[in-house]
Amino acid sequence: MHWRNAWIVMRKDLAEFRKQKLVIGSIVAMPIILGVIFPLATFVPIITMIPQGESWDVPGLLELGSLPDDFIVPWTNQTIAESSFTEVVLHHKTLKNVNLSNCIIISCILEDVIVINSTIQNSSLERTYLENVTVVRSEGRELDGRYILSVSSNLLFIRTKPSEINQVLPMMFNMMLMIFIIVPATLPTIIAPYSIVGEKNNRSLEPLLATPTTDGELLAGKIFSSFVPSMGSTLLAFALGVVLLDVILLPQVNYPLMPNLTWILSVVLLAPTTCLMSVLACVLVSSKVSDVRAAQQLGGFVVMPMVVLMIGVLSGFLFLSPLMVLVFAGLYGCLDLGLFYFVKAVFNREKILTTWK
Amino acid sequence: MITCEGLTKTFGSITAIQDFTLEIPDGCIFGLLGPNGSGKTTTMRMLSCLIQPTSGKALIDSYDIHDKTDAQKIRGMIGLLPEVPGLYETLGAYKNLDFYGQFYGVPKQKRDESIKRTLTNLGLWDRRNEPVGGFSKGMKQKIAIARALTHDPKYIFLDEPTASLDPAAAKLVREYILELKKRGNTILINTHNLSEAERICDTVALLKNKIVKVGHPKELARGLFARTISITLQKIPSSLLPEISSLRYISEAQVNGNQLILRIRNPEENNPQVITWLIQKGLQVQFVSEEEYSLEDVYLKLIEEEGQ
Repeated sequence: MHWRNAWIVMRKDLAEFRKQKLVIGSIVAMPIILGVIFPLATFVPIITMIPQGESWDVPGLLELGSLPDDFIVPWTNQTIAESSFTEVVLHHKTLKNVNLSNCIIISCILEDVIVINSTIQNSSLERTYLENVTVVRSEGRELDGRYILSVSSNLLFIRTKPSEINQVLPMMFNMMLMIFIIVPATLPTIIAPYSIVGEKNNRSLEPLLATPTTDGELLAGKIFSSFVPSMGSTLLAFALGVVLLDVILLPQVNYPLMPNLTWILSVVLLAPTTCLMSVLACVLVSSKVSDVRAAQQLGGFVVMPMVVLMIGVLSGFLFLSPLMVLVFAGLYGCLDLGLFYFVKAVFNREKILTTWK
Repeated sequence: MITCEGLTKTFGSITAIQDFTLEIPDGCIFGLLGPNGSGKTTTMRMLSCLIQPTSGKALIDSYDIHDKTDAQKIRGMIGLLPEVPGLYETLGAYKNLDFYGQFYGVPKQKRDESIKRTLTNLGLWDRRNEPVGGFSKGMKQKIAIARALTHDPKYIFLDEPTASLDPAAAKLVREYILELKKRGNTILINTHNLSEAERICDTVALLKNKIVKVGHPKELARGLFARTISITLQKIPSSLLPEISSLRYISEAQVNGNQLILRIRNPEENNPQVITWLIQKGLQVQFVSEEEYSLEDVYLKLIEEEGQ
C-alpha cells in the first residue's frame, strides 16, 4: 500500500471540509460545548455548594474511607503505629520522615507520591495502588511495586469526606472523562458517512477510481480524513476541559488535579481507538448504501456501543482505571484492525459504479 | 496498442457488450458509436480497469486488464473523461487538477506546468482558483478534460467529450483532440455526435451490444451504399430515363427536376462514358458531383438493419 496516495485523498477531503462551513461549525462547536460549557455548567455550581471548610481543608489528601484519629497533616516527622488506613488516596504528596509501623493499609491509592526517609515496616499493603511512587531510603518488605500494582484493579476512585456533594464528584470526573470518549465516537458520524456515497453522489468516484490508487489506499485516505478532524476536535475539547477544570478546582486543591494517568491514557489510547472504530463503521456504511441521508442515519447508530459504555461507567458498573483503559484500548485497537480489513474486503468498486444511481 | 478479444460483460441477464474484438493502433483516434445502452461506456470502463469483463481479454501495451498489478499500471497510462465531469465543486479548477496529478506521481513543477498549459489552452487559467461549482456545464466539461490530461497519459479515453459544450467550445475541444493525436496520443472516444466522429476519428466502431461494423467513416459509407452521381442538365427529355437506365454500368437512375441521379458501379471508370454519351445525345451538362453519404446515414442504416 502506498501511503502517499492515502495522504493525497486525505488532503483533498480536508480541503473540501474547509469549504463546508456547517461541517466546520459542528466540529468546532463540539469541543466548545463539551470542553468549556460542560465543566462550567456542572463543576462550578457543585463547588459553590460545598460548605467552606469542609473536606478541602486538607489539600492534596483525598479520602474516601477512614483515617486514623491521630493522623495529622502534613505527613512529616510522624510516627504512626498500629493504625489502619482504608481507601485513602494520596495525590502529589511527599511523605518525609514518616514511620509507619504495624499499620494495615488497605485499598489505598498513592499517586505521584514521594516517600523519603520513611519506614513502612511490618505493615500490610493490600489491594493498594502505587503509581509513580518514589521510595528513597525507606524500608518495608511489603513495598513491592509489582505485587501491589497487580492487585490494583478493584480500587474505587477518590475522595473527600463523605458528604453528599463530595460523593457526586467522582462521578462527575468519570462523566467528564466519558465525554472525551464520546466526542471522538460521535464526530465521525458527521463526516465519515459522506466519504464514499458522497463521492458517488457527486459523480467524482469514477474519475477517482480510474487513478492508480488501490481500494486500501482510497479507504485509508477516507478514514484519515474523518479521523484527523475528529481527534483534533477531541484533543481541543480535552485541553480546554482540563485547563478549565484545574482553574475551577485549583483554589480547593492547590495543585492541578487533572489530567491524571487515567485521563492521559484515555485521550491518548482509548479516544483514538474509539474514534477509529466509529470512522470505520461509518465508512463501511458509506460504502454499502447508495444514499447520503441513509448513510448518515445509519452512521448515527455506530455510537450506540459507546453510549452503553458511558451508561456502564455512570452507573458505577464500570470504573475507568488505567488498567481498564488499557484493556479497552487494546480491545478496540484489535477490533479496528479487523474492521479495516473487513471494510476493505467488502468494498466493491464495480458494484458501486454500476448499480448505484 | 489496445487489443481486445471476445470482451464480454453481462449484468445478470443483461448483456451490455458481447464479443468485442478489435485492435486500436497507437496514435489514432478511435470512435465508439452506438445508441444509448449499446455498451460504449461499459467497454470504456472495462478498458479503464474500472470493471472486470465477464469473459474475453484485453491487453493495453501488453498489460492485461484482468491482472490486478497490471490494472494499476494501465490506470496510470490512461486519462479518463467519464460521462459526467464529477469535479469537486467547492474546490477551484487548479486544485481539482492538482489533486489528480498527484496520484500519478507527477513532480510538482511539471504538474504546475501541465495544469497551466492545459487550462490556458482551454481558456480557463484566469479562473483557476474559483470554486468550480459556479461554472457552467461547458466549463466544467473543459476542466474534466483537462483533468484527464494532467499526467500526460498515453491513452486518453473520452466519454462524450463535447456533450454540453457550445459550438465554439466543442470546436476548441475537437481541435485539442486532434492536437493530442499529433503528439502521439491514442484516443478512444464514445460519442453520439456523428459529424464530430466523422471529422476527427480515424476509425469508428458501430456498437449495438456487439460490434456491428468497424472502419473509416468514408469506407463504411462506400461499403454500405452504391455510389451516386448527380448530373445537372440544362433540359432533360422524357425519353432519357429509360434509355440511360438500359446502360450496363448504371444500376439505378432517377430524375429530380433537371438533375439526373445515377447509381454507378465504378464512377472513376464510368463517369467519362456517361458524360460522353449525354453529350452525344445533344444534352448540355452543367454540373457533375458525387453524392456524399454521411456517417449519420451509415449509422442509421446499420442500426436499423441490426434492429430488424
